[in-house]
Formats: sequence, C-alpha cells, structure tokens
Amino acid sequence: MPVDRSVRLPTVLLVEDEPELADEIRVELRRRGYEVRLAPTRDEGLRAAREGDAAILILDRMLHGEDGLSIVAALRDDGIKTPVLVISALTAIDERIRGLKAGGDDYLVKPFAMGELAARVEALLRRLEDVRTTRLRVGSLEMDLVERRVNRSGRSIDLLPREFKLLEYFVRRPDQVVTRAMLLEDVWHYNFLPQTNVVDVHISNLRRKIDAKGEAPLITNIRGVGFMLHADA
Amino acid sequence: MRMLELFRSTAFRLAVAFALATTAATAAVFALVYLEISTSDVARLRLVLVDEASKGVNESDDDLKRALELRLTRDLRRLDYVALFRADGTLAYGNIEKIPDIAVDGEAHYVAAARPPGAAEGRSEPALFVARRRADGGVLLLGRSLLEVYAIRGTALRSLAVGLGPAIVLTLAIGAFFARRATRRLAIIHETIARIMQGDLKARLPLGGYGDDIDKISRAVNLMLDELARLLDQLKSAGDNIAHDLRTPLAVMRAKLERGLAGGADNGELRAAAGEALEQLDKAMVMVAALLRVAAVESDLRSSAFQKIDLAKICGDLFEFYEPLAREKSIEMTFETPGAAPMLGDADLMREAISNLIDNAIKFTPPGGRVRLKTAMNQDRPTVWVCDSGYGVPPTEQDKIFQRFYRGAPGQNAPGYGLGLSIAKAIAGLHDFDLTVADNAPGACFELRARSKAALAAYAEA
Repeated sequence: MPVDRSVRLPTVLLVEDEPELADEIRVELRRRGYEVRLAPTRDEGLRAAREGDAAILILDRMLHGEDGLSIVAALRDDGIKTPVLVISALTAIDERIRGLKAGGDDYLVKPFAMGELAARVEALLRRLEDVRTTRLRVGSLEMDLVERRVNRSGRSIDLLPREFKLLEYFVRRPDQVVTRAMLLEDVWHYNFLPQTNVVDVHISNLRRKIDAKGEAPLITNIRGVGFMLHADA
Repeated sequence: MRMLELFRSTAFRLAVAFALATTAATAAVFALVYLEISTSDVARLRLVLVDEASKGVNESDDDLKRALELRLTRDLRRLDYVALFRADGTLAYGNIEKIPDIAVDGEAHYVAAARPPGAAEGRSEPALFVARRRADGGVLLLGRSLLEVYAIRGTALRSLAVGLGPAIVLTLAIGAFFARRATRRLAIIHETIARIMQGDLKARLPLGGYGDDIDKISRAVNLMLDELARLLDQLKSAGDNIAHDLRTPLAVMRAKLERGLAGGADNGELRAAAGEALEQLDKAMVMVAALLRVAAVESDLRSSAFQKIDLAKICGDLFEFYEPLAREKSIEMTFETPGAAPMLGDADLMREAISNLIDNAIKFTPPGGRVRLKTAMNQDRPTVWVCDSGYGVPPTEQDKIFQRFYRGAPGQNAPGYGLGLSIAKAIAGLHDFDLTVADNAPGACFELRARSKAALAAYAEA
C-alpha cells in the first residue's frame, strides 16, 4: 500500500480497554503511517477526543462494562464531528444499527482482519467531499452520473446498472483499499458475508468490461483485504 | 415461627377473609329471618283482629255473646281479650273491665301494658286491641296478647345465635384446613425452587392432581424448566461442537507455524507457512462470526421491529446478485415469481437466510447443473424455493443438515463450515417460517414457508 510519508498523517484516537488488541491495532496503524493515541477508559477517551486533534476515533463499544457509544453521544452534543469507527464484540442483530444511530460513522464487529480495519479508517478519513458531482474522472476513466455513461480512453463502455454503481463506488475512492464487506454494505446494502466468492465474480465481470486488451488493469486485487482502483492506470 | 409463617401466608389470610365474609353473610341472613318472624306474626294478628271485629260488630247481641263465649272457651292459653260494652260504657260481657286507652275506630292498636284477664293487679303484658262501635252505640273490643309472639321471637333469636357460633367456627376451620394445605404445597414448591436455583435442573415442581391454579402454574414452570434444560443441553453440545470444529483449523495452523519456524526453513518457507496459517485462522474466524450470528438471531425477539417486505423483491435482488456467480460456474440459474409475496419481517435477515440457501445451492451443484429460485404465495403463505440439481440430501440426513456444524459427505470439502443452514433456520424461526428440505431428484429443494397465514394478516393490518 503506497504511503506518502512527506505528508503528516492524521492522528487516530483509539479508545480500547483490551491491551493486547489495542497494541495490535496501534502497531498496524503506525505501520501504515498513522499517529496513534491510546485511551484505555471511557473518561480518558472522551477527554482526549474533546481536547486532542484526533482526525478519527476508533471506539470499542464496551469499555470496562461502560457503553462506549456514550462518548459518541457526548461528542456529538458538543458539536464535535470527528468520524467514529465503532468496533464491537456485541453481536445482537440490531447492534450495528444502534451503533450507527448513536452517531457512529462505521461499525466493525470483532473478530475482524486488520486490513479491514485499516481500509475502513482510510475510507472514513477520506470521506467524500462532494457527492453531488455529476461527472467523475480518474485517470483514463470518465463517468457521467446523469447520462449514466462511462468511457475509458475515449472508448464507450456499456455497464449494467449494478456494475455502474460498483464502478462509481471505486471511482469515488481512487487508490483506496475497498474490502468485500464494504462493497456488500455500501453497493448492495447487504449486511452479511456470503460464503462464496460472489463479490469477486462481480468485480471480474466489471474488470472485463473496463479493461481493454493492453490497458493496465484499473481495479486490482489486494491480497487478503479487497480491491483497489488505481488512479494512474 | 411456623405459626407466624402460617399467619403471614396469603392462603391463610384468604381463609380468614373467607371466614369473615361467610360469617357476615350468615349473620345477615339470620337477621332477615328474625325480622321476618317478628313482623309477620304481629301483622297477621292485626289483620285477624280487625277482620273479626268488623264481622262481629253487626251481629245480634246474643249471637255475638255466643261467639265471644266460644272464643274464650277455645282460648286455652288465655291469650284472648274479648268484651262487649254497652252504649253507656258498662261491660255487658267479656273479660276486660274497661276499654283500654285506644281509639274506637276498628283498627288494631298496640298497647304496651295491658292487664291480662283475671291477673293480679300490677301484672301487664303487651297486646293488640281493636275497638269497634256497634249500631246501638255499644263497643266491641277484641284483643290478643303478644306474649306468645314475643316468646317465639326470643326463641328464634336464641336459636339463631346458637347456630351462628358453630357456623363461624366451621368456616374458620375449613378455611384453616385449606390454608394449611395450600401453604404446605407452596412450601414444597418453594423448597423445590431453591433446589433448582442451587443447580439441580432435573428437579420439577410437584403436581397435586387438583388441576387448580397452583397446579397450572407448577405445570407451566415445569414446562419452562424442560425448555431451559433443553436449551442448556443444546448450548452445551453446541459448545462441544465449537470446540471440536475450532480445533481442526487451530491444529493445522499450529503445525504450519511450527514447520515454518523449524530449523532449516528459509524466509520464503516461513512466509508461506505464515500465509497458510493465516488462512486457517480466517476459517476459524468465519466460524466464530457465524456462530455468534446464529446465537444473536436465536436470542433476538424484536419481531416488533418487523416491517412490510416483499420476498419477490428480495429474491429478485439476490438473483441479480448471484446469477453471475452461477454463470461463472457454468450453472444455469433461473428465477420465477408470479407476483409479490408480502410478509412482515426483517429484510436484512430474510435476505441473509435466502442468500445462505442460494450460496449452498451454487456450492453443491456441479458445473452444467441448474439452480432454480422461485417465490410465490403458496396457499396464501409467502414461500421461497431454492432448488438445485446438485448432490442432494439423503433422507436420513434431512433433519441433521440444519444442526450446527453438520456437513453432508459431499460438502466435506466445500467451504462454508456448515453454519449457513443453521443461520437460515434460526432466521426462519424468528419469522415464524419453516425451513425444510426435500429431494429434487437429483439435487435438493429447500422450502422456506410461512407457518401460518397470520403473517399475511398482520401484513394487511400493518
């Protein structure tokens, strides 16, 4: 994963009471160039979130028996809009909805892969600035969201509606890791992981349409994590 | 101490209240009886006297005297007063010297102290008198002592009082008996519950065979305990299965890492081993996630959050989602629906359940096969069929496949860890749907169908 070290990367505030998991997350995110600050309790987390300059909050749902979501509520009351990624071992089926309703921006259930966590942190940090754009352009690819037209290097590409949405999702997140779970949640609005490689099939169908012979692949597999659209392809 | 407990018990209090209520009711009845006795006799006497006086007043002197004589001779108990006064007020015949102080109007009047005929000076009794003027100016006087009536009245009162005592005692005794019996049964139930709380899950509340409220509650509690014990058993066996099935990826992972770290292994070998170990770990994590999912669905009770959803729409979307995968495997996948299949439910969960069925169908169907997705109202019940031409499910295994971790022989090598059907089953149960499997010769046909039309009725109301 390309990391531009010349730019000061943002600070992640990690509110997590399990030291081993906290360590792993810290090591992983530092490896990816983030500054990580750890707060092991709810109160410390809230104080650090209010005073610090954290660009994003990773918040464990349960902190020594206290509900981490109360931090989100308190922050939102103060008008602090720092994006929050809630991680949770709670599995009740409406837990996710509850987490998002309470002001969380994304929700990840334990156990999760570090790649998944990192991808979601990145996605939250690079949240779309303007969703009302009608034309998107990445490298040689152009999308007209109103006319529903796609062309690459001047060559027009026919896409099914779902393929169009899928491609739009990637084009809005160039050079960003997109996981299968993120695609399922955001493109299909499915909150479960199929046991078959159905997402990969959709991606390869899309790829066949957008990559002409001789062209560099626009979307590639990121082993063990997901996919990425390359802006320079 | 035991006495104190008895007094405190609800049953005893009820018994006492019952006794008091019964006593009050009995006393009220007695009071009414007494009142009736005491007033009706006097009222009857009044009528008789008035009637006789009105008849006698017009008879000739001789006839009247004879009638009065007859009356006196018959009056063995000497209760009657009779007298005939002349117009000047003197006694013509009778056993009273002078007219008592009453109006001569033919009506009955009460005289508290009349002097009985032939009685000594100073003796008196209560009596009723009627005085009526005759045509010749004389007065006919008839009277009757009330002593006897009062005596009957007293007797009635005494006998009522005598009867009331035993009635109260009897009621109290019966109440106490039932209270003791109920208290004793409750005490046994209490002891049993204490035993259950200490972990004896096999203990059951005793049934008295009376079919009363306590029996009904005991039976319900026993059923609840049966269900709890069953769930605990299931939990335990699920736990055993989890431990067993997690052991495989863990063991493989350990072996691979060990080999990678063994002397002589170079960096490339170590990386390969770590990569393979990671795959095993991912397997284990998928299993844990799926298990938690089953548990979460099974413990969920939020049917109140159900909304109107259309199975045809959900299946249509899933068809669009899975068809490319089927095509990739050279499987012909079709979708049929005659129209909407409305129900009340959670769209996310139903989607997940049906997706698991489609996942399996595609997984267990060899290239060149078919997967058919169909949704329709079947006898007014929303139904989804997922049929394939794959390996099928032998009849002997048709029940087992829905159990956690069960994997049929053909599926041993397929990914999925046997939890998809458990999740689907749990979701079906949450929606009051049945999930069954039948032979599709070849292949399997899964049917997901509402148990009752109620789902639809609720849909219409919502």
